[in-house]
Amino acid sequence: MENEVSFIIDGKSVMACPGETIWDVAKREGNVIPSLCHKDAPGYFPDGNCRACMVEIEGERTLAASCVRSATDGMVVMTSSERAIKSRKLVIELLLADQPKRTSAHDRSSHLWQIADQQELRTSRFPKIESGRIPSADISHLAMGVNLDACIHCNLCVRACREVQVNDVIGMSGRGRDTKISFDFDDPMGASTCVACGECVQACPTGALMPATLLDEVGSGDRKSFEREVSSVCPYCGVGCQLSFKIRGKKVAWVDGADGPSNENRLCVKGRFGFDYIGHPHRLTKPLIRRIDAPAKGLNVDPGNLGTHFREASWEEALDVAAGGLSGLRKVRGGESVAGFGSAKCSNEEAYLFQKLIRQGFGHNNVDHCTRLCHASSVAALLENIGSGAVTATFNEIKNADVAIIIGANPTENHPVAATYFKQFAKRGGRLIVMDPRGQGLKRHAGHMLEFRPGTDVAMLNAIMNAIVEEELYDEQFIAEFTENWDELKTHLKEFSPEKMAPLCGVDAQTLRAVAREFATAKAGMIFWGMGISQHIHGTDNARCLISLALMCGHVGRPGTGLHPLRGQNNVQGASDAGLVPMFLPDYQSVTDDGVRSAFAKIWQSDDFSAQKGLTVVEIMDAVHAGQIQGMYVLGENPAMSDPDVGHAREALSKLEHLVVQDIFLTETANYADVILPASAWLEKTGTVTNTNRQVQMGRPVLSPPGEAREDWWIIRELAARLGLEWTYTHPREVFEEMKLTMHSLDNITWDRLEREAVTYPSLSPEDPGQAIVFGDGFPRSGGRARFTPASIVAPAETPDENYPMILTTGRQLEHWHTGSMSRRASVLDWAEPEANASLHPQTLRKLQVDPGEMITIETRRGRITIMARADRAVAPDMVFVPFAYVEAAANLLTNPQLDPYGKIPEFKFSACRVERAPSEFIVTPI
Amino acid sequence: MPSDVSNPEERSSGVWKTGRGKGRSTPKGRQVDEQALGDVRALLGDLPRRRDLLIEHLHLIQDQFGCLSSAHLHALSEEMKLSQAEVYEVATFYAHFDVVRDGGIPPPMHTIRVCDSLSCELAGAQKLLDGLKIAVDPSLVRIVRAPCMGRCDNAPVCEFGHKHIDKASVEGVLTAVSSGDTHPYVPDYESFDAYRLAGGYSALLTCRNAEWTREEVQEKIQSSGLRGLGGAGFPSGRKWAFVRAEEAPRYVAVNGDEGEPGTFKDRYYLERVPHLFLEGMLIAAWAVDASRCFIYMRDEYPAVLDILRREIVALEDAGLVERGFIDLRRGAGAYICGEESAMIESIEGKRGLPRHRPPYVAQNGIFNRPTLVHNVETLYWVARICREGPEILSNVEKNGRAGLRSYSVSGRIKNPGVHVLAAGSTITDIIAEAGGMLAGHRFKAYQPGGPSSGLLPASLDDVPLDFDTLQPHGSFIGSAAVVILSDQDSMREAALNMLRFFEDESCGQCTPCRVGCEKAVKLMNSNQWDKELLEDLCEVMAQASICGLGQAAPNPIRLTIKYFPDEI
Repeated sequence: MENEVSFIIDGKSVMACPGETIWDVAKREGNVIPSLCHKDAPGYFPDGNCRACMVEIEGERTLAASCVRSATDGMVVMTSSERAIKSRKLVIELLLADQPKRTSAHDRSSHLWQIADQQELRTSRFPKIESGRIPSADISHLAMGVNLDACIHCNLCVRACREVQVNDVIGMSGRGRDTKISFDFDDPMGASTCVACGECVQACPTGALMPATLLDEVGSGDRKSFEREVSSVCPYCGVGCQLSFKIRGKKVAWVDGADGPSNENRLCVKGRFGFDYIGHPHRLTKPLIRRIDAPAKGLNVDPGNLGTHFREASWEEALDVAAGGLSGLRKVRGGESVAGFGSAKCSNEEAYLFQKLIRQGFGHNNVDHCTRLCHASSVAALLENIGSGAVTATFNEIKNADVAIIIGANPTENHPVAATYFKQFAKRGGRLIVMDPRGQGLKRHAGHMLEFRPGTDVAMLNAIMNAIVEEELYDEQFIAEFTENWDELKTHLKEFSPEKMAPLCGVDAQTLRAVAREFATAKAGMIFWGMGISQHIHGTDNARCLISLALMCGHVGRPGTGLHPLRGQNNVQGASDAGLVPMFLPDYQSVTDDGVRSAFAKIWQSDDFSAQKGLTVVEIMDAVHAGQIQGMYVLGENPAMSDPDVGHAREALSKLEHLVVQDIFLTETANYADVILPASAWLEKTGTVTNTNRQVQMGRPVLSPPGEAREDWWIIRELAARLGLEWTYTHPREVFEEMKLTMHSLDNITWDRLEREAVTYPSLSPEDPGQAIVFGDGFPRSGGRARFTPASIVAPAETPDENYPMILTTGRQLEHWHTGSMSRRASVLDWAEPEANASLHPQTLRKLQVDPGEMITIETRRGRITIMARADRAVAPDMVFVPFAYVEAAANLLTNPQLDPYGKIPEFKFSACRVERAPSEFIVTPI
Repeated sequence: MPSDVSNPEERSSGVWKTGRGKGRSTPKGRQVDEQALGDVRALLGDLPRRRDLLIEHLHLIQDQFGCLSSAHLHALSEEMKLSQAEVYEVATFYAHFDVVRDGGIPPPMHTIRVCDSLSCELAGAQKLLDGLKIAVDPSLVRIVRAPCMGRCDNAPVCEFGHKHIDKASVEGVLTAVSSGDTHPYVPDYESFDAYRLAGGYSALLTCRNAEWTREEVQEKIQSSGLRGLGGAGFPSGRKWAFVRAEEAPRYVAVNGDEGEPGTFKDRYYLERVPHLFLEGMLIAAWAVDASRCFIYMRDEYPAVLDILRREIVALEDAGLVERGFIDLRRGAGAYICGEESAMIESIEGKRGLPRHRPPYVAQNGIFNRPTLVHNVETLYWVARICREGPEILSNVEKNGRAGLRSYSVSGRIKNPGVHVLAAGSTITDIIAEAGGMLAGHRFKAYQPGGPSSGLLPASLDDVPLDFDTLQPHGSFIGSAAVVILSDQDSMREAALNMLRFFEDESCGQCTPCRVGCEKAVKLMNSNQWDKELLEDLCEVMAQASICGLGQAAPNPIRLTIKYFPDEI
């Protein structure tokens, strides 16, 4: 390689790349020099502060820290000279002087003690520091123990928090020997802004920061005290972090991040500390059948005491009753009378089996899942305009970008590990343009923060595009070569000058122009979006604008460019790919295409099924109300919480003649079930998942399902058998093989390969790790051209008025997942957010004469909830933000079920509402 | 009419939550206090919110409110788009910031800092401190120990607010307190007009008018033999060539953090002839084609800060420099910031942690740009060399050494002060120049260049006190901060004073220095020193510390063991 340097290490002549450190070269040569402050892992840079890795360099007066010192031509390095060895040992001896005794160490197997062992050091000759100068233990956080008596000031936790996760909570305060690791202003960890990603705990080499589950009552512990470890994928969000579960007994003792393609060892609070839900006493362990004497269907079952409504049954009986009810309806009222909701939480194989069961078993396409509630509109726009519904580039590609727009997404809460890459990008000097009506975690890192009026996305984005057109900043060559309909868009945009749109969207024209210039003139730009874009009746239009914006700037198909809707669920990409949607078979092959259907019918060895696009989630509920659907099979979905106008959805559920629910807990939906089938949690099963980056990864069983709970694919197969389908699968790998027959996206991706590595689709060869960026040479549309689809301004379905003067918007919070059935049963997550809360601006609360923490009522045309008020300056004064995870104040009792005409996604992000101080009976004194 | 579904649900058994605890009424962590945010916005006005100005902004708050409350710190972090941690760690690093956490008690209105460095200690600083603690009301005035204030020729010294009290006694201090005047005394100095009238800045203009080439001027400096007078002694002209060889933009940074105890020569020049220094700086800036000059001035020199503020404006008004070309930065009480890379970190608004070398600051300095760092006195000589010729230094010869040295002399001598002598002078010459020993004191030992140089015995009286000459004796001249000790002084106590200083001032970054200084003080406090263990400690500190502080901190230990074995 050019500029390679040649130098001598321990008498041996070696080559190094420019900038390569002595430590790295020595390691390559098989000599791992001891180190404490250096973490040889992605995202960590050497700091050279512990001085445990000193080496001698010929001609230099002092020793050099090998971890930070770059090799230079002709350098002569001695890693094992007497001088170097003595100093290294003395450094450890100095540190040991102030360590707690090893027998009572916070981590008896800490990296520090291992290095001490290597140097045969047990004790120190140096006097101990005064006891008054030793920081006391901080047990304020449920998930992590902070015992700074063991701290060696190596700074790894600071770098973990600041440089790797960019949460910026940990700092090194004070000076000299009394320097101290501190959270915010030296606050107790639990009272600080710490988001509990646990990166610091994973990095700490001494046990000063430890997972609390590893410490006994006196704070002693041992990081090697696990029995086995299993590598798998996180079940929470679409980032798809790989993790390593450490198992002790029948429990997950703790979790470390693993080096997956999307997370490079990083995790968030859910992925690190959110797993004890699987051992919660509410787990369903036996099949259940609704008792004949059960009270009327309603949200009335105590999940801790199911006996009032359900009786335990054998699998045989439960499956017979479940299938019998469905096949009975099919026989009497026809297949159309039964619909199915699958889940984006299950594996690809399970999603495939579920849609196959509905299509093959009932002859129609009324099968859907929660993608309808999250990115259906994005997918509709992407398919329409670029011919593919998945991301064009992985989010990690941001490392090659110089500008990135994040719009309608709150990744620090919802895609926390992806957010770390965005924050790192900004830290490195990348320009982050954040567009969100709500101030949010990325605001501090943003070059531009556009807090626009909710629902004015199209106006704002058209104005930005207008400026690009007007100032001729667009990429003419790209447009000519790779797009169509440009002139129509250009003409359409004339009406949307920034000056004209500014009053509408609440962002001044100057800023809109500045953003336009910055994005258009960037060498490489990316666009990320979330449900702030998609969950509107104009969600598809919103996404069309983003697509047009990227296309006109030529920001697709190159490194550092691309369109990336951040997918929500761990397997929403995979479930959609697998055909768990009413209009498409696997790989987005249209159900209306006779050829496609016949190909599937052939592989499935079944009759043709309906050529009609099926009903979507909300439409199915309407069809229940209309009496067209009387039976449902719901796997891992919770429409009784997640549907808009959920009162209406719950009513529908209560009307069903036969409802089969398959889940791990008695969800709100299961309250209405006739048969409940106990399933396995993600940690208890085998299967593949596909994350937001199109990366297909293997999930492995960490523990066995409790009691008689079974893997979902097994349950689906058993039901299928009772519905008359002759399936012979004995393992998910056989399902995967079948999927490959019709899904070209899985070409070159085999089960065996996934056992070894994650693969991004498309993968061009058995060796290709997969294409992080697609469409560099054209789009999967006719002529290889992407399309510009102009979008006009559509007002929200319901605008604020005298009676409902405020705007309600809904979403998620860092700690709680979706409808809360898992995360609210995870002790750390519940500890962090134990109660439903609504965020309002402090000014608004003052006006309402409500103190933060007091109860308010929020009312819309659909319902009313009573909820604790949280004062949050990030929320606009006329807005309320309510997370939808909390059943005690379910946000979706309030939301508007009006749908986007293309994606059929409801307008979760905008309802007119009224907020009042709650009547006094709700003012509960805190316990 | 909406259905009132929430009410019955609260009681419904289908609604499950753990019921453990109450949710937070705000987002995580401390919330911004609107009042404090208003204060900070008003205080900062139109000033840029750039990260590198963090320390300057902290000063504004400290000066206005007498402390840094959590509320103000949080407001500042919000205003500057910094995390709380980033602001807090900087605020707590520097001794002159008083951080008061939520609910904490703010310090009293006034602070008296009593210098406890060697010369002041010899002159009775401890007695002064004890006396003051009894004499003043602690609710009104706070008494704290502080490191060297650069007034060792007037020991003992303390500072009331920003007013220094020389040759302080308890009575004298009480008088000063009762007067309530906390402003620095600004001595008479040569103003811009006077300097200009006397031909000042003609050398700079000659340079700028291209009458001299950069190479010519550099040659002048090199031929004068001028070396870095901050202590490292690097040949000054050669530095220019290194910096100029790097790509623009380049910066000049002036190290005015004269913190090595016993040193006061920079203050001496700045309080008398500030423009010689400023002209030297501008010539250096011209020589490396710098786009900005940063002057990092220690907060212990409020009079100098005052003078510089005024005179920089005069330069700007006279059109000699563009507004903002000279960026005066105020230190905040941290010896380590005299280390050039730590100073650069501090100029960037961070904690003063020295950087690893390589890369050197000439390539990678302020904002990772090539930076020419000079000591104040060095630049004073640059101007004089350009104005008077290199011979003013090169023609002075003594004991085989060339040049002049500004010795800051204090301790047990009659005429302490800055004495400019030939660089080949011995300690005997210096004592003679300083009027001889104080009555009743017999010369026993001396500190040749600050605590980093340790202590040498009186018997070493024939060594020229210059660069390179003391290394064979385990010492070095450094900033030429000479302290004379007598037969009435304890060498062991003097060494301990030095190590206590290093323990206080260690930045805490690397293990050998952070832990080593602390352990050294403990070991040296023992009646009998464990010489073997101390030597091991000295070795790891000298060999493995990141910067000069930790590497030189063992010198007082080793030299005391070597030359004064009967005292330990």
